[in-house]
Amino acid sequence: MQITDQMFNDWVRQHQRLLFGIAYWLTGSRSDAEELAQEAFLQAYRSRASLRDVELVKGWLVLRHCHNQMRRRTKSRVEVSFDEMFYEPESRPTLSADALSLHQSLSKLDERHRLPVVLFYFQELSYREIAEALELPIGTVMSRLARARQKLHELMKAPTKLVLMKKAEFL
Amino acid sequence: MSCEFYESEMYAWRPGDDLPESKPLLDHVATCPECARWFANFSASDERIRQSFLQIPESPSLEAKIFAGLDYERLQKAPRKSSWRNWFLLPIAASLLFGVTLGFSPWIQEARLSRQVATLLSQPPSAEINSTDQKQLLSWSAGALSGDAALPPELSRIEFRAASSLNVASHKAVLLKMKNEQRASLLIIDGRLTEENTIKSFHETAGNDSRWSDGRRTYVLLFQGSEQDMHAYMTRMGIVT
Repeated sequence: MQITDQMFNDWVRQHQRLLFGIAYWLTGSRSDAEELAQEAFLQAYRSRASLRDVELVKGWLVLRHCHNQMRRRTKSRVEVSFDEMFYEPESRPTLSADALSLHQSLSKLDERHRLPVVLFYFQELSYREIAEALELPIGTVMSRLARARQKLHELMKAPTKLVLMKKAEFL
Repeated sequence: MSCEFYESEMYAWRPGDDLPESKPLLDHVATCPECARWFANFSASDERIRQSFLQIPESPSLEAKIFAGLDYERLQKAPRKSSWRNWFLLPIAASLLFGVTLGFSPWIQEARLSRQVATLLSQPPSAEINSTDQKQLLSWSAGALSGDAALPPELSRIEFRAASSLNVASHKAVLLKMKNEQRASLLIIDGRLTEENTIKSFHETAGNDSRWSDGRRTYVLLFQGSEQDMHAYMTRMGIVT
């Protein structure tokens, strides 16, 4: 089907915040997330002919393009530690103790657990939607997600020194 | 089924879930006080995680940046009608295109650079690395650029305190914040985006920039202050004499 520039522009307006949010939780950095969202939309525009059903545009943008960009980047660059990110003067006022703890906990999950858990909590996709998007059996998604959530709950229960300092308002 | 089994089942449950698979868990929780307590704690913790996921920073310029990239892409790949007439017009179109590309390409690049510099002056990106170690900052920058990050001689007296990586007109770039001058930063772009050494002034609250190229890379000194102050700083640091 023909995807016009107008249609694509509407998708940018509708979904840019979503892609940015997912990229932010996957990368842990605002500037990386912005860059990744820009690249994802550009790649999506270039391969817009591959979208078979406009109803599936959200999953297509998020998983095909946003996730592909993220995988490409993590292979090619050194990740910035979340501690470094926290000490950025610009990001300090915006991070609550819980958000900081979540950043640190997510960074400890491996990639195959991190993506489903972000989609589950941030985008609130159903198991079926995640399974279809990741092209995995629903049972695999359920067990992978259950393991990822268990790990995330455990990590969030054990705050790091940095989070404790933040909670005590030392930072 | 044991309570341990149901505890592990909670991680597969989601709030508002009424799947048939969840029924045994919910039935058990309704009859077991120990698991009911555990389930209440789990639900509270899960809600805390869900709320934390909603805390994402604002990115007011993102939409404009995405559209700037798309506009450039569309400009480069504007669709052309294919008909027999085109074959006759092809040599003329090719020479025209060649001329236009030669004439406008630097202008387009320069315009994109100006847009991005204006954004950077009003909304500088967050630093990705903070360090007083010059070597460490330059080596991190080299990783974000292609090849080495050695500075040209005119910048040898400048020291930095933080860096972040970005894309400028589809080229890799790094933005380094100066150590001794909070208002100044240096943008290094992997590509030639300017034809000559120029000074551009933006809205007076945003600041000014001075840009030049060594043929391989473009250097842009961004200054959140007046043109006179920028000149004074550049003279003090030996960038201009």
